[in-house]
Amino acid sequence: MVLVLALGDLHIPHRAPDLPAKFKSMLVPGKIQHIICTGNLCIKEVHDYLKSLCPDLHITRGEYDEDARYPETKTLTIGQFKLGLCHGHQVVPWGDLDSLAMLQRQLDVDILVTGHTHQFKAYKHEGGVVINPGSATGAYSSITYDVNPSFVLMDIDGLRVVVYVYELIDGEVKVDKIDFKKTATMHA
Amino acid sequence: MADGATPRRKSVPDWLNNPIWSAPPPSPRHSSPPRTAPSPPQPPPSPVLPPQPPRDPTPIPPPNARRDGDASDDEDDEGKGAGAPSRSHLVAEFKVTLDRKVVDLAELRRLACQGVPDAAGIRPIVWKLLLGYLPTDRALWPYELEKKRSQYCAFQDELLVNPSEVTRRMEEMSVSKREEHNAEGTGVLPRAEIVRDEHPLSLGKTSVWNQYFQESEIVEQIDRDVKRTHPEMQFFNGDSSDSLSNQESLKRILTIFAKLNPGIRYVQGMNEVLAPLYYVFKNDPDQSHAALAEPDAFFCFVELLSGFRDNFCKQLDNSVVGIRSTIATLSQLLRRHDEELWRHLEVVTKVNPQFYAFRWITLLLTQEFKFRDCLSLWDTLLGDPEGPQATLLRICCAMLILVRRRLLAGDFTANLKLLQNYPPTNIDHLLHIANKLRGPLPF
Repeated sequence: MVLVLALGDLHIPHRAPDLPAKFKSMLVPGKIQHIICTGNLCIKEVHDYLKSLCPDLHITRGEYDEDARYPETKTLTIGQFKLGLCHGHQVVPWGDLDSLAMLQRQLDVDILVTGHTHQFKAYKHEGGVVINPGSATGAYSSITYDVNPSFVLMDIDGLRVVVYVYELIDGEVKVDKIDFKKTATMHA
Repeated sequence: MADGATPRRKSVPDWLNNPIWSAPPPSPRHSSPPRTAPSPPQPPPSPVLPPQPPRDPTPIPPPNARRDGDASDDEDDEGKGAGAPSRSHLVAEFKVTLDRKVVDLAELRRLACQGVPDAAGIRPIVWKLLLGYLPTDRALWPYELEKKRSQYCAFQDELLVNPSEVTRRMEEMSVSKREEHNAEGTGVLPRAEIVRDEHPLSLGKTSVWNQYFQESEIVEQIDRDVKRTHPEMQFFNGDSSDSLSNQESLKRILTIFAKLNPGIRYVQGMNEVLAPLYYVFKNDPDQSHAALAEPDAFFCFVELLSGFRDNFCKQLDNSVVGIRSTIATLSQLLRRHDEELWRHLEVVTKVNPQFYAFRWITLLLTQEFKFRDCLSLWDTLLGDPEGPQATLLRICCAMLILVRRRLLAGDFTANLKLLQNYPPTNIDHLLHIANKLRGPLPF
């Protein structure tokens, strides 16, 4: 039972001052084992805050990140699943499933987490699953101003992943979930 | 051995200077103390032991019948059923008592106070009977064991499950059954409603996840303590898979106890009280019992702790039933039996009994003696008809009296050091002294 927090595109301080208070009250240290962040934090203070939630932090570089040392892509293995991480501005057209699927095959992962569009999405295709946690602060994106703050928490339990989607809609936190199982044929 | 050296001792009667009152040196072959024990205390010293009940000789057998001091083993040999020749008659006596259709508990208690032999798996059964886990009627044993063991399985199933599992079960029970999603096909993954606000970051009081995270602190504490239990013993702390599984068993028992008892939860030290029980049951030569040592140990632990619960409850510390009051009773007991020592300890050197007796009482003396000695001590503790609490106090008092010479000669630091690192003693000797201290507890 491993809890993995996936979030990104916070754009603090340029486009948003901070995470929504309701999200912050839920994100307490000690519960989450890993954090994967798609990028665009943008400053070190946000990095430190995320580090305080969980020591195991993985970040990829977004185009506005001030720390240039984050990698472009990252892969990690958690339990039975291989996860891939990339900000997504590198993949054109932005948010296009087929292009992301190409990246997923390149990285050879079961679950690919990308951002940049600031819209929550969860797709599946033959190669695996693509998850976009959206923007945790609800910052405006390069495409639209209409953004709901959202992030994703994955509960990896053996061959099964339960993806909990947390969205802030009209000031209330709404939680949904997506159940997902890995089969042997997923990877050649 | 400075007899007339200290001026304080001019009024000490001769019998008190007898070597019986001092702890014999820890030499394994030193068998004289138990033998010479009967003769000196026979002229009853009336000023110090007023309520000398005439029934005193009868409950205890003459010390010659006690088993030899294998209590002073230097290395830790677990599971060695060393049957010294003088114990074979004891084994036979126990077998006779245990083989009856309905076990006579009074008779068993009397035998247990003599000391349970290590051989032939007698101790596990005796302890289970003394703690009330097994009924006296032998015919009911299979039924009772089955019932208790399946109850434990139910506890395990219910309480030791992680929240992912729990939410999965809740889903399976809920009406809206969705299909499994696997990697075939393409498209957006449909979102589903969560059941009853159950998500990992939930802060709700009734949330399974929230409770899990709150209890994880206790679980971590238990984990740390179990790893520290008896580090010198292979059984608890070796590298083998056996000792790891023993540790896991201990952890499970303590976790289930903590979850079932929200009032007292887990307190540091409970692991030490559990360790001898689990050890004895796990080393039962009867494999069918040894394999199920965990549930047996759990229920016996509950039973044993029920008498001592109040010692672990912080709120009761200052109450009539709490640990402070128990320590005060011990103090009064010492005063009654040995006023001079009491005065020296509490008034002159100001050694507050809480400094040493706290650990003696709450951990049932598991930390004061070697593990094997502890098992022998517990035979009497569990077997004495007066009950574990009263017996424990008598034994503590006897421990103090046994080292009185050193205590009377020491100051605060020396006495505290001595009492917190109690010197190795012959257990039979100690229990013999404790037995002589019978009488109504002072209040």
